[in-house]
Amino acid sequence: MSNINHNIESPKEKQNRHKAMEAIKLLNTLREDFKAPIKSMEYFYDLFERVHCKHESLHDGKTKIGTMCIQIPSEIIYALDGVPVRLCNGFYTDDEIGSDLMPQKACPLIKATVGHFASGNFTDKPDIVFSPTTCDQKTKAGTTIESFGYKLIDIDFPRTKESEASREYWRRSVKQFAVELSKFQGKKLNRTDLRNAIKKIGYAQSLYHKLSDFRKKEIVPILGLDVFLVTNAFFFDKIDNWIEATEKLISELEIRAKEKITVTGKASPRIVYTGSPPIFPNYKIPQIIEESDGIIVADETCSSNRMFNDMVAVDEWNIYDMMDSISDKYLKACTCPIFTKNEDRIRRVVQLVKEYKAEGVIYQAFAGCTVYEMEQRSVLEAMEKEGIPILYLESDYSPSQGGQLSTRVEAFIESLKTRRRKKK
Amino acid sequence: MSSLKKKINNMNLIRFRFWFQIVAFVLIVYGGYASLDLGDKLPTFACVFNSEGTGGKCYIGMLQHDLKNPFEIFTGFAGYAFLISLIMFMVWFWVLNKSWCGFVCPLGTMQDWLTALREKLKIRFSEYSWASRSNIKSIKYILLILLLIIPVMISNSIFGLPKLPNGLSMPFCDICPGRMLIPAFTGNFNQFYIDFSSKTDLVMTTLGMIIVGLFLVGSFIKKRFFCYFCPMAALQYIFSKPALLKLYKDGAKCTKCGDCYRACDMDILEIADDVTNKNLVTEDCILCLKCVAACPEDGCLEANFTGITIFESTKEGFILRMAMNKQKESHE
Repeated sequence: MSNINHNIESPKEKQNRHKAMEAIKLLNTLREDFKAPIKSMEYFYDLFERVHCKHESLHDGKTKIGTMCIQIPSEIIYALDGVPVRLCNGFYTDDEIGSDLMPQKACPLIKATVGHFASGNFTDKPDIVFSPTTCDQKTKAGTTIESFGYKLIDIDFPRTKESEASREYWRRSVKQFAVELSKFQGKKLNRTDLRNAIKKIGYAQSLYHKLSDFRKKEIVPILGLDVFLVTNAFFFDKIDNWIEATEKLISELEIRAKEKITVTGKASPRIVYTGSPPIFPNYKIPQIIEESDGIIVADETCSSNRMFNDMVAVDEWNIYDMMDSISDKYLKACTCPIFTKNEDRIRRVVQLVKEYKAEGVIYQAFAGCTVYEMEQRSVLEAMEKEGIPILYLESDYSPSQGGQLSTRVEAFIESLKTRRRKKK
Repeated sequence: MSSLKKKINNMNLIRFRFWFQIVAFVLIVYGGYASLDLGDKLPTFACVFNSEGTGGKCYIGMLQHDLKNPFEIFTGFAGYAFLISLIMFMVWFWVLNKSWCGFVCPLGTMQDWLTALREKLKIRFSEYSWASRSNIKSIKYILLILLLIIPVMISNSIFGLPKLPNGLSMPFCDICPGRMLIPAFTGNFNQFYIDFSSKTDLVMTTLGMIIVGLFLVGSFIKKRFFCYFCPMAALQYIFSKPALLKLYKDGAKCTKCGDCYRACDMDILEIADDVTNKNLVTEDCILCLKCVAACPEDGCLEANFTGITIFESTKEGFILRMAMNKQKESHE
């Protein structure tokens, strides 16, 4: 008789509860477990809590344009009055849902993304989804997602970037994307709106660069984990709010830099992080690194640096040239491992090590992310040639792997410390 | 010092260059009225046919004129004079290197004005395909060889070929659009003519009229259209290595984003894709420095004068030039 009022939890509620648990666990760790927490990070902690624990939607009344990769130009989305929402997913809960729909050995990021779509459980449900044909799994996931009843449009993306043909091909794809979106929105792309969108995103990028400058300093005032959170927030946050919060964060960091407040230990080795992207709340590896007395000073991933680093440069501020420069930015500078040759990525990692005075590189690949797994060998060889210590790790979204990974990371960080002592 | 450096690196290069070109244009096209005379060995198109206005004279004209003499003359004093002229030309050239093209040349400036007009009209520029782009590279050298060899063949018989008519003593000037356009800026339109007096003159002056038409149409639709074929650029490039002003690139800092390539009026692919060479003054480079201004990486590209960095790419400068520094929306 006592269980008359007992509700059986629906799958959706269960999913929400599990995701909230994943999210709050990480957020609480970030809030409490590290020294010298930054006050203005609270905006970001709170943002993720609101979205993932309280299931608040951020963009009511706006057209949400789902994107499956960084190659879909946000500039054009904003210029056509849409809100870009990047749907790359980091939840283990969704990964498990997606596992039933994808091959067993598929990449957890794709599985989680597909799982998220399968559940249809969004705080900000995309009205239309654009999927660039980047890696095999994302390319093929499009049809699966479409079969759930979403409006999804593939955007052709070339797998080489050196040739004239690939440049032209991608420029056409971007134009086609603008046409499709313009049709969907019932609005024509105009010069002023596109220019304003380019400038706004450029400004956001300039803030990221300012944020990165602090990490070049000897005394590092911000955790790599926090920076990942800031950049991940850019996936879905209202851009003006993100800009305001990041401005505040920068002014707080300025004070901290002056007062020499650090988040690191006495001799924390400086790490460059590269490989499969940490996407909230899958911060497993960065968390292990920073809990093992390492400090991530820079990264080469598509959820952070690659998304912000390269900026659109326009020579003639007319639509034709703005469109071309947007296209080029999303193709030419991209260091995604899906490209045939990828010396650019290696040069980039080496340059980051030099610029941020890092002592080692940690390269993570998701089990199932074939392209990162394949590129591992050439990157390791190149780092060896440069004399840069590197650790290669394979991981997934499961919470169970922790012990073995942290042993390896700790050992690597210890070796970096020993190396430094020997150098002296 | 460092604040001055910052100011320079943050400058609006487009505006600076616009005004610099106007000043240079005035000096070269109208300088003569203020009795300015920079001599006749200038490594830029200062036109001898603009006899009253010109502030100096183009060396290509001088060179053709000198070469018209029989070989015997060059063994004597005239040979030294010829060498001294050449050295004078080199000295002028070494100071600015190819910036003569990007900042001083009046024909270059005219083309930039036409480009600005096209931009205002919101008409897209056209580009060569990469294949044709590399095919046309040799044309300027062919023109240079012709303009050197034709005057020589007037007084000398080479390989037993008959001597050429005197009407070809300045073959390049006949077809140079500068001969018609530069004097036109001083109100002198007398150079627009077709000369029927001899077959040679008829052919050459007709060619000249066609080329001036091509120049105007071409540079309206293609940035710096004429510069791809300019024999002055070819002559300059031969002496470019020891020049004092240089464009350097630090390949390690390059992300190959291609911003520089897109800004380049001469569509020089190496500027974005070459990450091994330091000296990036390539044969078609006009050292306008637009690439440096368009580069968002700190210290990746720089203009260097005698080993001193005078203008380098910075993130801050890039953001200012793209007006990404403030969050103000513009409305038109």
